[in-house]
Amino acid sequence: MSNEPTGAQLVISTLKALGVETLFGYPGGAIMPIYDALAGSGLQHILVRHEQGASFAADAYARATGKVGVCMATSGPGATNLITGIANAYMDSVPLVCITGQVGTHLMGTDGFQEVDILGICLPIVKHSWLVRNPADIPRILAEAFAIASEGRPGPVLVDIPKDVAAAHTGTSSTATFPAWTAPEPDANAIREAEKLIASAKKPLFYAGGGVEMGGASPAFLELVKRTGIPVVTTLKGIGVVPTTEELYLGMLGMHGTRAANTAVQESDLLIALGARFDDRATGKLNAFAPNAKIIHADIDPAEINKLRKANVGIVGNLKTTIESLNPKVEGIQKWVEKCKADKWEHRFRYNAPGAGVYAPALLKLLSEKAGDKFIAACDVGQHQMWVAQHCEFANCRAHLTSGGSGAMGYGLPAGVGAKLAKPDHHVVTISGDGSFMMNIQEMATLNRYNIPLKIVLLDNSSLGLVRQWQELFYQENYSEIDLSDNPDFVVVAKAFGLDAFRITHRHEVEGAVDRLLAAEGPTLLHVLIDPRENVWPLVPPGASNAEMMEERWDEPLDSY
Amino acid sequence: MSHLIHIELDRLEGSLLRVLGLIERRGFHIDQMELYDLGEKRGLSVTVRPRDPSRSPDQLGLQIDRLYGITRLSADPRVGAGADTQAKQGIRA
Repeated sequence: MSNEPTGAQLVISTLKALGVETLFGYPGGAIMPIYDALAGSGLQHILVRHEQGASFAADAYARATGKVGVCMATSGPGATNLITGIANAYMDSVPLVCITGQVGTHLMGTDGFQEVDILGICLPIVKHSWLVRNPADIPRILAEAFAIASEGRPGPVLVDIPKDVAAAHTGTSSTATFPAWTAPEPDANAIREAEKLIASAKKPLFYAGGGVEMGGASPAFLELVKRTGIPVVTTLKGIGVVPTTEELYLGMLGMHGTRAANTAVQESDLLIALGARFDDRATGKLNAFAPNAKIIHADIDPAEINKLRKANVGIVGNLKTTIESLNPKVEGIQKWVEKCKADKWEHRFRYNAPGAGVYAPALLKLLSEKAGDKFIAACDVGQHQMWVAQHCEFANCRAHLTSGGSGAMGYGLPAGVGAKLAKPDHHVVTISGDGSFMMNIQEMATLNRYNIPLKIVLLDNSSLGLVRQWQELFYQENYSEIDLSDNPDFVVVAKAFGLDAFRITHRHEVEGAVDRLLAAEGPTLLHVLIDPRENVWPLVPPGASNAEMMEERWDEPLDSY
Repeated sequence: MSHLIHIELDRLEGSLLRVLGLIERRGFHIDQMELYDLGEKRGLSVTVRPRDPSRSPDQLGLQIDRLYGITRLSADPRVGAGADTQAKQGIRA
């Protein structure tokens, strides 16, 4: 037997050399050489119960830490099961390295067992991808993969390794490096032009996206906000770039944004977009979005400038430097700022919903307040996701893990797995709905196997709530395939997986349940029955301007919950 | 209206599919193309036509630019200068 390392051994040694400590995966035929080399390597491998769980968990690990997430799967169905997670990371610019086994090179192109052209399938949803033909290339390719995943605008990459390449011995043992890439500095003239626009604006507004945090610019941004006194709205992914308790923070904009945020955008005369991409869920009807505003758009990705809304000033490059460089003279905006604050107060969320049932927004607000600065929410997708965005308090952007661009149901539970492993000293809470939860429910077995003390709040309305809401409002109450009233007993199911679990059905039980959940030592599920008729408000109808918000108001006095 | 884009590709797995797929996915017809040898690299000339007026060839150029291992050599001279003031920099975003 050769003493030279195999391709598989190079995979493991290179991952360790690149600083990987934890990865998520599921073995199978074509990736067996790599799993053979993994055993006893010292890497912490988390065996999920479905490959989609691996890509979602790695995604959340990356979001929570800022490091590159790593997942592995075998060829064919193993690889295709990763895809939703890869697309999710692509849409939200999350650094992710996905390693897939591939059938042997002699079988490639013959429709071999568990053969699928995963490189071809993933082309539109990765920053880059490699098919490894020579085991000696593995250190270099993995070094490239990590660099490309994390540099500039981050994103997922794929490394597909045929079984014979992984099994082959090679004389290469050195760990390759890849030249570090430095983000370009913003153009000084563009900065000056931006400052002129800000100085002349009477109704300026920051529109901040997830790129602010990914660019390491959140502290600088908060300082800029305080220095200029300009109000802030954020995208879904930008929530937390300034603490949600900041007085100049008006909330999330867009389809389920706050009235204060959307009104400010519509009335502003200058929108300063930072690390945001004018996504349709944020802008509503694009040609009616911020109709009176000039645009400053700063982003690391030049392809985002002018993509959807023409910028008067575009600034490409390092967002942290961009923000630190901006030193505008801001005068005469006090009336505007007071108006924004007054709108925020007037249209603040109410928590005195009628009835005795659990009002989910109030529960979520209480949960985030009790968990405090150590709170991390791993959201699923649906009504509960929007309620989290609207009602939870976040101290920073990496505390709010949500599937923004792709809106992938099933994200929440595996994301909670990844986040809790990344941040064991935090109150990591998966917040899910009964539709989403069933999509990756098997990952409760992962919680049990590794005794990961993730907390789960399952808001159960026995239906696909957001679809039901749209059918009620926009499809003449023609309720089509949204009934989930035959759900299993989630408390029984969770206990069968080895979790602690309990249920609440009434409002008076909420505070005690939240306390019990946060104090629990092991993985625990709180099953919350909520009213299936509950909707998410406000709502901008699809295709409408953000000025056309639908709201539900109660007549009761504005007592706090 | 058609636009001619010249692209230089590293000889990487899937590079041709990557750029052609991007062009179609971003809303352009591919009316003509020519692949030619550039030694260690390959050259690709593509005539594209937007599916609707909202699709900007300027933006397409920037989307191609950010692909790894693929360099847009030349195109409509206006490509990349859409903003009133913009730092145009070749970066691997």
